[in-house]
Amino acid sequence: MSGFTMPSATLLAQSVASGVFVGALYGLLGLGLSLSWGLLRLINLAHFAFAFLAAYLCYQMATMGMDPLLTLAVIVPLFFAIGAALHAAMMSFRITPFNSLLVTFGLTGIVEALIQSIWTADFRKLESSYGEHNYKVAGLYLPLPELITLGLAAGLSFAVWAVLRYTDLGKALRASAEDAPIAAAFGINQRRNALLLAGTCSALASVAGVCLALGFTLAPSQIYAWIGVVFAAVMLGGLGRALAPLIAGVLIGVSEAVTMAVTAPSWAPLVSFTLLIAILLLRPGRAT
Amino acid sequence: MRIPVSTAGVAAMPPAATAGLARPGPWRTPVAIVAAALALAFVPALGLPAFYDSLLYLILHWIVLATSWNILSGYTGYFSFGHGAFFGAGIYTSATLMARWDWPFLWTLPVAAAVACVLGVVVGAIVFRVKGIRGEVFALLTLAVTFVLGTIIVNTPIDGGNGVSLAGAAIPRLGPTPSSTFYLLALATAAVTLLVAWGISVSKLGAGLFAIHDDEDAAEVMGVPTYRYKLIALAISCALAGVAGGIHALFLNYVTVGEVFTITVPLTVVLMSVLGGTRHWAGPAVGAVAITLLLYSFTAADFAVAGKALVGVILIAAILFMPDGILPRLQRLWVRRPATPQPAAAAAAPASAAPAMAAAPAPIGGEVLLKARGLAKSFRGVRALGGVDVEVRRGEILGLLGPNGSGKSTFINVVSGHYLPTGGSVMFESRELAGIAAHRIARAGISRTYQIPRPFGHQTVLDNVALAAMFGGGLPNPAVARREAMTWLSFAGLQDKAHALPDALNLHQRKFLELARALASRPRLVLLDEVLCGLTPSEIDDAVALVRRIRDQGSTVVFVEHVMRAVMALTDRVVVFDQGLLLAEGPAAEVMQRPEVMTAYLGQPQRASSATSRPLPSARPEGGHA
Amino acid sequence: MLEVRDLQVAYGQAQALWGVSFELRERELLCVVGPNGAGKTTLINTLAGVLRPRTGRIVFEGRDITALPPHRYCEAGIAIVPEGRRLFGSMSVLENLEIGSILPAARALRSDSLAAVLALFPALEVKLGQAAGELSGGQQQMVAIGRALMARPRLLLLDEPSLGLSPLIVHEMFGAIRRVNDEGTAVLLVEQNVSMALRVAQRAYVLEEGRMVAEGTPDDLMQRDEIRRAYLGV
Repeated sequence: MSGFTMPSATLLAQSVASGVFVGALYGLLGLGLSLSWGLLRLINLAHFAFAFLAAYLCYQMATMGMDPLLTLAVIVPLFFAIGAALHAAMMSFRITPFNSLLVTFGLTGIVEALIQSIWTADFRKLESSYGEHNYKVAGLYLPLPELITLGLAAGLSFAVWAVLRYTDLGKALRASAEDAPIAAAFGINQRRNALLLAGTCSALASVAGVCLALGFTLAPSQIYAWIGVVFAAVMLGGLGRALAPLIAGVLIGVSEAVTMAVTAPSWAPLVSFTLLIAILLLRPGRAT
Repeated sequence: MRIPVSTAGVAAMPPAATAGLARPGPWRTPVAIVAAALALAFVPALGLPAFYDSLLYLILHWIVLATSWNILSGYTGYFSFGHGAFFGAGIYTSATLMARWDWPFLWTLPVAAAVACVLGVVVGAIVFRVKGIRGEVFALLTLAVTFVLGTIIVNTPIDGGNGVSLAGAAIPRLGPTPSSTFYLLALATAAVTLLVAWGISVSKLGAGLFAIHDDEDAAEVMGVPTYRYKLIALAISCALAGVAGGIHALFLNYVTVGEVFTITVPLTVVLMSVLGGTRHWAGPAVGAVAITLLLYSFTAADFAVAGKALVGVILIAAILFMPDGILPRLQRLWVRRPATPQPAAAAAAPASAAPAMAAAPAPIGGEVLLKARGLAKSFRGVRALGGVDVEVRRGEILGLLGPNGSGKSTFINVVSGHYLPTGGSVMFESRELAGIAAHRIARAGISRTYQIPRPFGHQTVLDNVALAAMFGGGLPNPAVARREAMTWLSFAGLQDKAHALPDALNLHQRKFLELARALASRPRLVLLDEVLCGLTPSEIDDAVALVRRIRDQGSTVVFVEHVMRAVMALTDRVVVFDQGLLLAEGPAAEVMQRPEVMTAYLGQPQRASSATSRPLPSARPEGGHA
Repeated sequence: MLEVRDLQVAYGQAQALWGVSFELRERELLCVVGPNGAGKTTLINTLAGVLRPRTGRIVFEGRDITALPPHRYCEAGIAIVPEGRRLFGSMSVLENLEIGSILPAARALRSDSLAAVLALFPALEVKLGQAAGELSGGQQQMVAIGRALMARPRLLLLDEPSLGLSPLIVHEMFGAIRRVNDEGTAVLLVEQNVSMALRVAQRAYVLEEGRMVAEGTPDDLMQRDEIRRAYLGV
């Protein structure tokens, strides 16, 4: 039952730390989703299924002897290709943002079934050397897999931000999202850019998947557990932004963790969803 | 050739145009539903294995859930992902009443319905007030509500994380076996739900909901009370889901939050409705039957996974290839093109005698009908209207002119209620209009057309006009409204197109459709926004003649126009706007010669033309240019 | 340099241009005037590749470009200054200018082009970092013209550049347009503001209800009745 207990300072600090870690993963998952929604006008629910597929692939390859982080070299290009190919297929149908939600939901079901048929519904946990390393800093436990996740999330978010901000490609993507016909009138090849972006979003999902494999227990049904909270992070941060999902994710992660420490773990979802509702009510314009 | 279909329910056959013909069977559908329900009620007597009872129960259960969802989401286009919340509220209400306070099962059902309904209305009352919330935002918001509710329930004594057990509750004996009881209850609920869904689809409420789906802003301006209607649809939808929940609680016997407050219920009902067809009352039922049978034929463990994948494939295929659903496809194969209703009462000639308007036409220069005082409108710092004073006199044709960006369309948008003014007042027949909801302005006797026609794309031409007659004109039901609509279509010369869909019309016909729609509510003031734009010279002549006839039978007309020869030919007076302010006012020929007006248009100080003085144009429009 | 034959363009359901034909010569400053609703924006958008014609041909520098995909028009040497500016409001002025020179050929000359644009519109120098959506109408127009110039076009299309601007700024704007043309870029200008347009143009057409109804030098046209009748009805 719920009751309020004030935790000790260390416990609180530990909660904040774990909130930051899980928040970083929310952010990493949200990055691809936010780019896809904001710049491509596609709401890609299958993003989560792809992340899990990548997670399972990482698990599989690691179980067969490969170093989990090294699997990135195989997984990232693979998913880039998958994402681009999928987008090419979807581009041949003129899909509204809402219909993209439904189509990608269907895709999620298919991928989930695929995962379940290969790896069954049993829980799978990747045991790697990384999981054994645990750093103690100032009385806080900082596990290595979580640190890796944080590092990847921050690094990738900054990289994407820099590309969007400083390179011609990034500017072209932003311009196309704002006014596609005029962007085309200045020579921007939207089809090619869209494929590039779709591939990148998938690749980002796959990186998130590897982080998932490192730190969490996998089960096909878990795909859906992340949808709500990541959407909350994406919308809190605003669409099509690179750093915002990370910041928002960490905010949500920390709020959840503190809530859990202070009351009971089962209250945690309330935080993110109430935030999501509040944002949607107060600033629905941010979503479009 | 495209076969036109009236989308307001396939069972509501396209009506005859005139009063004389009684409709073949408006009661055919409800009778069929009830008869089918009665027939199916005897299934338990067949003594089938319990598995079949359960399967049939589930099919009916999903029929209720999908159809009830469709009443709001399919009809209005506000796709809710929160149906699970209301269904769950119903489940937990019943479960708690039975487990905690030993209520008899059947008595918990109305309470479950009520709780779900109230919950829905509370959510809707807040969410529908906020202007930007549609589409994906609405979907996500309602999904979030589901999870919030689930979290609250799991953390409070209602569930407490342990679920609610109904092992001790008594199952009423309505049939030979316990499972048949559920079957019969679900059957009754399904029958009621289908009847309600059908009833709404052929009523005024339904017409309004479908209009909201196609173009909510235009519907509001035409007189549909959008906020109220959405709330009503949501309330009904939730109540039905609540009942389904109440029944399901006892069926499950043991209720947990994790099974109920998830993304599964909303996505399944979306899939079922989209597959079957969201615009039709029976669409979700078709989808429910198909999907339930499909899913449960895979119940054997080996195929459960494949079943899930198959559902995904079907959903994708449905969205990509059949975005309207199965039922409309079938409809197109079955429904014959209806006989064009003979315009017996309405004369065959396009220029038919028009029905008398509410007020007898008064002489020009009569009383003031509309008075705008200091009317202003700014958008985020950009001043579109800077405080204008305009008077419109009863019975006149007033032209509203000015260069691009001068505020003419903004004026029309403000007067018709499409925008709220940021300053000033508008008095119409001594009633203040500024700040009133657009649908009330429509009821007050003002109607408008759009520069780029905005018909309701999924409704027939006839229904488009009938909507205006019902909501702006206050007629009580679709049948009466369609008769009225037919008259106005004849007035505009479109009677042959009554059963076509708007995109089968060319631009000229769509503009006339806009006019017919504007007139069907019998307004006292008609605002026309660039009706002639894009028309050929001969079409312009037709349109000019039509506008004259509109005035001649009692409406006052204000129209924004650029085609100068039409302005010269039609208007009694013009007002000229420039950069949001009133520049000049008076008879057209005289005003257009004034130096300040010529400057505004041509851009340099002009003297009144002296070198080439031409005779003033006659009242007849000149012949077309090359 | 540019030859347009029998262009029929529909805008959605409405036919906006009914068989428009005209030509533009090398380094010319050509004006198309006409009242609202005449089809001027449709014409410009078609020439920039934003709209596709139903029938008709567009031949630019001897090459038939009618069937090219939209993003190839800029490469061919045509840049547009759209009606209402249509800047990328959330992006900075500098970024808007950079988008103008995003194609490889223009990109190589980016810094030179930027210097030239700033020489033409010195007022933009301090605004480079500001979001384009925050500028005043006149400044936005300068950015829009600058953006098009960054693409190093051989033909510059301008759609109602004077719209919503005060007379003084309009005067400056047209001066700049004149200078651009003097330096060798052909210009096609559509305008509602007849007097300003005819003051800079070497030749002009009158477009009314989707058809070309007159053609000639500015002095010619101002004397004739077509313009007065088209605009004022008298």
